[in-house]
Amino acid sequence: MDMEAQKDQWLAQEEQDGVRLSWNVFPSNRIESSRLVVPIGVLYTPLKEKEQPPVQYEPVTCKSPCRAVLNPYCQVDARAKLWICPFCLQRNMLPPHYKDIGPNAWPLELSPGYSTIEYKLARPAPAPPIFLFVVDTCQEEDSLKALKDSLIMSLSLLPPHALVGLITYGTMTHIHELGYTECAKSYVFRGNKEYTAKQVQEMLGLLAPGLRPQQPMVPGRPQAHLPPSSRFLLPVQNCEFQLTNALEQLQKDPWPVANDKRPLRCTGVALSVAVGLLETSFANTGARIMLFSGGPSTEGPGMVVGPELREPIRSHHDIERDHIKYYKKATKFYDNMARRTAHNGHIIDIFAGCLDQVGLLEMKSLANFTGGHMILTDSFTSSMFRQSFVKIFDKDGEDNLLMGFNASLEVLTTKELKVTGLIGHAVSMNKKSTSVGETEVGIGNTCSWKMCGITPTTSVATYFEIASQAGPAQPQQGQQKGLIQFLTYYQHSSGHFHLRVTTIGKDITTPTGDPSIAHSFDQETAAVLMTRIAVFKAEVDDGPDVLRWVDRMLIRLCSRFADYRKDDPTSFRLDKNFTLYPQFMFHLRRSQFLQVFNNSPDETAFYRHVLNREDVSNSLIMIQPTLDSYTFDEPPRPVLLDSTSIQPNTILLLDTFFHILIFHGETIAEWKKIGYQDQEGYENFKELLELPKEDAKELISDRFPLPRFIVCDAGGSQARFLLSKLNPSTTHTTGGYGGVPQNAQTIFTDDVSLQTFMESLMKLAVTGTH
Amino acid sequence: SPGAMGGYDHVGGMTQQFGQMGMGGQAPMQPAPQMMPQPMGNQQAQGLNPLVTIDLMHTPFNASELDLAPPSIILPPNAALTPSPNSNCPPQYMRSTINAVPATNSLLKRSKLPFALIIQPYTSLHDAEDPVPLVSDTVISRCRRCRSYINPFATFLDHGNRWRCNMCNLTNDVPQAFDWDAQTQKTVDRWQRAELNYSVVEFIAPQEYMVRPPQPLVYLFVLDVSFAAVQSGLLATAARTILESLDRIPNADKRTRLGFLCVDTSLHYFSISRETNEPSMMVVSDLEEPFLPIPGDLLVPLADCREGIENLLGKMQDMFQNTQNNGSCMGSALQAGHKIISAIGGKMVVLTASIPNVGAGKLEMREDKKILGTSKENTLLQTANSFYKSFAVECSKNQVSVDMFLFANGYQDVASLSNLPRYTGGQTWHYPGWNASRSEDAIKFAREFSDHLSAEIALEAVMRVRATTGLRMQTFYGNFFNRSSDLCAFPAFPRDQGYVVEVAIDETLGNKFVCMQTAVLHTTCNGERRIRVMTLALPTTQNIADLYASADQVAITTYYAHKAVEKSLSGGLEAAREALQSKIQELLITYKKECTASHMGGSSPLSFAANLRGLVVLFLALMKHVGLRKSSQIPTDLRSAALALLSTLPAPLLMQYIYPRLYSLHDMPDNCGVIDPATGEITMPPPMNLSSERLHPYGLYLIDDGQTQFLWIGAQAVPQLIEDVFGLPDINHLKVGKTSLPAIEGSEFNEKVRNVIAKSRDHKSKKVGTITVPHLYIVRQDGEPSLRLWAMTMLIEDRADGSVGLTQFLGSLREKVGSS
Ligand SMILES: [Zn+2]
Ligand SMILES: [Zn+2]
Repeated sequence: MDMEAQKDQWLAQEEQDGVRLSWNVFPSNRIESSRLVVPIGVLYTPLKEKEQPPVQYEPVTCKSPCRAVLNPYCQVDARAKLWICPFCLQRNMLPPHYKDIGPNAWPLELSPGYSTIEYKLARPAPAPPIFLFVVDTCQEEDSLKALKDSLIMSLSLLPPHALVGLITYGTMTHIHELGYTECAKSYVFRGNKEYTAKQVQEMLGLLAPGLRPQQPMVPGRPQAHLPPSSRFLLPVQNCEFQLTNALEQLQKDPWPVANDKRPLRCTGVALSVAVGLLETSFANTGARIMLFSGGPSTEGPGMVVGPELREPIRSHHDIERDHIKYYKKATKFYDNMARRTAHNGHIIDIFAGCLDQVGLLEMKSLANFTGGHMILTDSFTSSMFRQSFVKIFDKDGEDNLLMGFNASLEVLTTKELKVTGLIGHAVSMNKKSTSVGETEVGIGNTCSWKMCGITPTTSVATYFEIASQAGPAQPQQGQQKGLIQFLTYYQHSSGHFHLRVTTIGKDITTPTGDPSIAHSFDQETAAVLMTRIAVFKAEVDDGPDVLRWVDRMLIRLCSRFADYRKDDPTSFRLDKNFTLYPQFMFHLRRSQFLQVFNNSPDETAFYRHVLNREDVSNSLIMIQPTLDSYTFDEPPRPVLLDSTSIQPNTILLLDTFFHILIFHGETIAEWKKIGYQDQEGYENFKELLELPKEDAKELISDRFPLPRFIVCDAGGSQARFLLSKLNPSTTHTTGGYGGVPQNAQTIFTDDVSLQTFMESLMKLAVTGTH
Repeated sequence: SPGAMGGYDHVGGMTQQFGQMGMGGQAPMQPAPQMMPQPMGNQQAQGLNPLVTIDLMHTPFNASELDLAPPSIILPPNAALTPSPNSNCPPQYMRSTINAVPATNSLLKRSKLPFALIIQPYTSLHDAEDPVPLVSDTVISRCRRCRSYINPFATFLDHGNRWRCNMCNLTNDVPQAFDWDAQTQKTVDRWQRAELNYSVVEFIAPQEYMVRPPQPLVYLFVLDVSFAAVQSGLLATAARTILESLDRIPNADKRTRLGFLCVDTSLHYFSISRETNEPSMMVVSDLEEPFLPIPGDLLVPLADCREGIENLLGKMQDMFQNTQNNGSCMGSALQAGHKIISAIGGKMVVLTASIPNVGAGKLEMREDKKILGTSKENTLLQTANSFYKSFAVECSKNQVSVDMFLFANGYQDVASLSNLPRYTGGQTWHYPGWNASRSEDAIKFAREFSDHLSAEIALEAVMRVRATTGLRMQTFYGNFFNRSSDLCAFPAFPRDQGYVVEVAIDETLGNKFVCMQTAVLHTTCNGERRIRVMTLALPTTQNIADLYASADQVAITTYYAHKAVEKSLSGGLEAAREALQSKIQELLITYKKECTASHMGGSSPLSFAANLRGLVVLFLALMKHVGLRKSSQIPTDLRSAALALLSTLPAPLLMQYIYPRLYSLHDMPDNCGVIDPATGEITMPPPMNLSSERLHPYGLYLIDDGQTQFLWIGAQAVPQLIEDVFGLPDINHLKVGKTSLPAIEGSEFNEKVRNVIAKSRDHKSKKVGTITVPHLYIVRQDGEPSLRLWAMTMLIEDRADGSVGLTQFLGSLREKVGSS
């Protein structure tokens, strides 16, 4: 099968099962496995949208503790009413209502087309989905106004039965009792104190009535059956008026702020209260805490910078030099809170609307551990915020929100495979099983992860190892397959629990080694899976160490799979399904994911967050942005992400996923300035200017979060953004070497060019000294 | 100096007095030398009050004697600058235990009499009811050395350009502006100045008397919203009363500000939007260090936010009607309240039906029935938690005063809570067993609370008493904080309390008379800085008989009431009673030794000065008072509330509280109970001594201690009496207990009885301000025993409940005195 056909097959499988694998054939033993360099991994999109609606019956499961779900890879004996679980090899009786199955009446889950199937379970969610807004009031009037408008508007996007609540904070934290009708009422917590969950509950009066001192019995007064938290969280349809009122009445934090001070913002306390409120009454019930932060926390637990303006917020350099006053304490505070929230099954979203940093770096685990969103914008007045925020409330054809709550993912493997970990927005549920491997990649030592928030695009990277040691070939019948089953259990926004089951099976090579394994290499997926590992490492290791690791792995992969004569770099050849991989790695090394010093720590946290939730194709755009060139009388075409692509008479459209940039070449910019596009006879110029805009609009339309859109001209200050992404093939050190057209833009950088990079790679790969 | 004589025109009977004073036609602008007090040695002792000795065993005390004026103050003929009849201080403002001062401390010691001042700077809740002359030109002449204010007992020298201080004898310049009217730009007659004619005056203070601009009146209402408070109707009644009293709260300058803080186990703050007039409630449950949820807006101007305030008060009951909360963090609430108002100062008015059982100043149910009546009882009367003293001192520093309205059904620890008013110039009001569902309870509280809010209290006040060299103010009694040796601080100065100052004699008093001057620097509730100055002059003597002849039994009893309260808290109730007993004994023995002939022959009499005839009865009454008497039946809170009253009531009310009024109604003379056309006042029947011998089984009586009134009906009361008074066929239809007397159409007698009850409650005629509206109980001689016994405890001359009667008391005293 040629590479294109193979890729089509992979894409088809991605379409059906939401999976893409680094290796589409599994090696048969550990030695062979370790020689693959790139680990066996699956980038899995559990809720990938499917045309088939969920089935409305309960899944048939294997005995405990296996609990695997009946799937197309199972052997079924219809006459004996038995099925054999491929994961644990146990025989299970089919349930009584399966008595009539046979060749003419297979249940859906046994059909090959249903390797991914979703069950709508009978079990209803204990409560409707909950949305708790946590709003920073230390904001300029216009920004606060815009935020209020967005929030009020969002009420119409929520299901009418969804529960909503409001917490506002500044110097102090106010939680609004929406169920109180006599007047506006809020409970206030001081901003500079760490409140335990129990304290929050006591102070809100959420403890069970029996725990309160001297509870009087009131004859003739009906005991309320509503949970105590219902004073703070009410169905939208019941409190829309009250909540709209409360939002409209919101004022800028009233505490005075000196000229040389930042406003006091107790983000940590506000979140503690939010988490504590939900923890009491709604543990393991779908809930989103949506934090709208207008600036850094300057007060109380979780503060990231002091209130003195002359004290700047930490930079990457400060962190590198360990010149950090609050960073570690704040990070620890938010990490603990994030873990607690994740275990409660709740989500925390962070919306930052601030030109400066808000402390995303310290707070990142809140979103990363709970499957929350992270949206980084300059202001809540920006369309980037407004549109991204609205997009969260997208609905499916049934008018259900496209978001799952309280989700967990479990991975089952057949005996040949073990799962070594997961990289994505989740925390370990610390569940041991026979499927758990010995090594650990990302979050390991478990076969089950809590994800809490999940959307149709949420993608997790899962990593596997081969169980069997090298040794005598195991007796086997026919082609053996390694199976992986993903069980995603979550609260659907319709109010029921769902179970999504994806079972994939891949051939296992013969122990003697098999060339098919090299052909099964999906370099795109491999690049994304390796990127996730690199970024995961970068979170804990020094930048240079990570770069060295990336290099080492690339060289090893090339030594293993390239054709070359030892010590002869000119003989170096890569198979077609490997050729792009070094480029991906080249761009990864240069990307904002690993080169952090050009960005703020908050931006780094944001970029890495987004990377860890996207699928293969979106991740690749982030790693290696796309560049399209537009010129007269030619259809637009992709061009190399190289400085040579900058030409005076072309328009470039750059997509880095986070930014979409239109760049007018020198001549185009000049003509535009003159205004030819508005003159008769220059319609083609006008069209040329419009075309990339149209395409950009297209790109933006289903992007989340909304990318920054930049239009710039050659020589303009915004153009640096494009230049930073281009391969520096024509730096000032290389001069005019290599047949580069004279009019190409020269990039002033000491970065190594792709060409140099490839030359070194070839040299190192063929020496075999690694 | 023109118009010198004209200055006297406004003083009635002037010419006549001139004659008496032997001043002839001399111009008072150039005071004659004989106007100055002469040294004692140079002149013969003037005639002071004559000593009249009586035998207490044979000329018994009569209750009406308590209404008599104190012994006259007989000053040397030209002691005062002017012959104004107002030049010496009237007793309602300031009275001394002895109206003649011993020239030496040894004489005082020998006499065993106390020397103390009873001070009551205000005699009504409102200025208009008892105005005091006002010096409004801010020209205030004070002695450079002792800082006394110029007064009718100063003397002018050097052609009126200088004045000699009657306290320290220093010569001071008369201020330039003293005879100058800045408004009319004209010289004015000095002798028209109020401070030279009146012993009680008020000065408008100039800038120098202000540490800051006069503060506005601030009321922060701290309302209990726990289950108990909501259930008893306290919250609803309080909110409605405040709402209906908004027009009565002083606000002439439109600066008055109100705030509201509701309390259960949490603090409920309120802000009121000026745009929407809607209240917002902010709840703080973190009591560790109470904090304000917002920086401002917790106090709103009554004038600007009237609608919002009304809105809030109108909703308040509904806001908390479903409460299940049974706790109170009142201590923390007070800390929070202090934070709200400390920048300005003002009143925290606390209304609570709970014992503070969470947060700061947490109290416990410590009352133990077993130790009531024992020597350990006084521990219950002491403060259980030091918070209440230390916080009160903190309040005083920041000009914050606390009033306590207490309503708990059970034990509330009045002893501890009353510290807050005690040190901040506030008051403790106790409403045991109160429930709004009884209209009497609701009406009593609503009227009292409304009157309380209407009172024209003063703010940021200090009181100092200065005196002639040789005298020293030694100990101060009353509700305030004694900031330094002679300075009492009052964040708010109430108009319904009295104070006692004990005076020490440090040096021999050489002059024929001495002066004592009380000055209360304060801010009026309308934002004016003023000083109320009261100057009392008393003659001196070297004769012990003069001391006894001029001794004031009401003032002495008032003084010993304070001493007894102090003693009962420190040494216990028994010790307090013993101290009273030995004091009266000591006075009688001393009198016998010092003032009577040694051998009278026959049966040994119990001699005493006629003007002190009531003292034995008053001491007995004090020992048998609910605050002090030996009993194992008196709940601690009742005792503590009584002690609070004993140490704060102005003398006229205190006397009645100690020795209640008893009126016989069924046989009152025809002119009683009706308005006397001459005075426009209701004539009262003569008061009777408090003895059950006086009660006839067919009679109808009113017993009134100013806090509680009993309408006592004999078991044999004829149906006609019952018909006339109550409109009921006979006594068997008459229900006992708390009630109000209905008006019976066409019954003249009913009207007379109602008039007597109403007049008995009338404080204006007693020259005293109070908010108290006594409860009226109907008691039948044959009715509910506990109620009957309660009423009978007021008949202190009786021997009952293990206590001595008057006859026994006198007998034992005679024995002791006889054997001395
Ligand atoms: Zn199984
Ligand atoms: Zn002086």
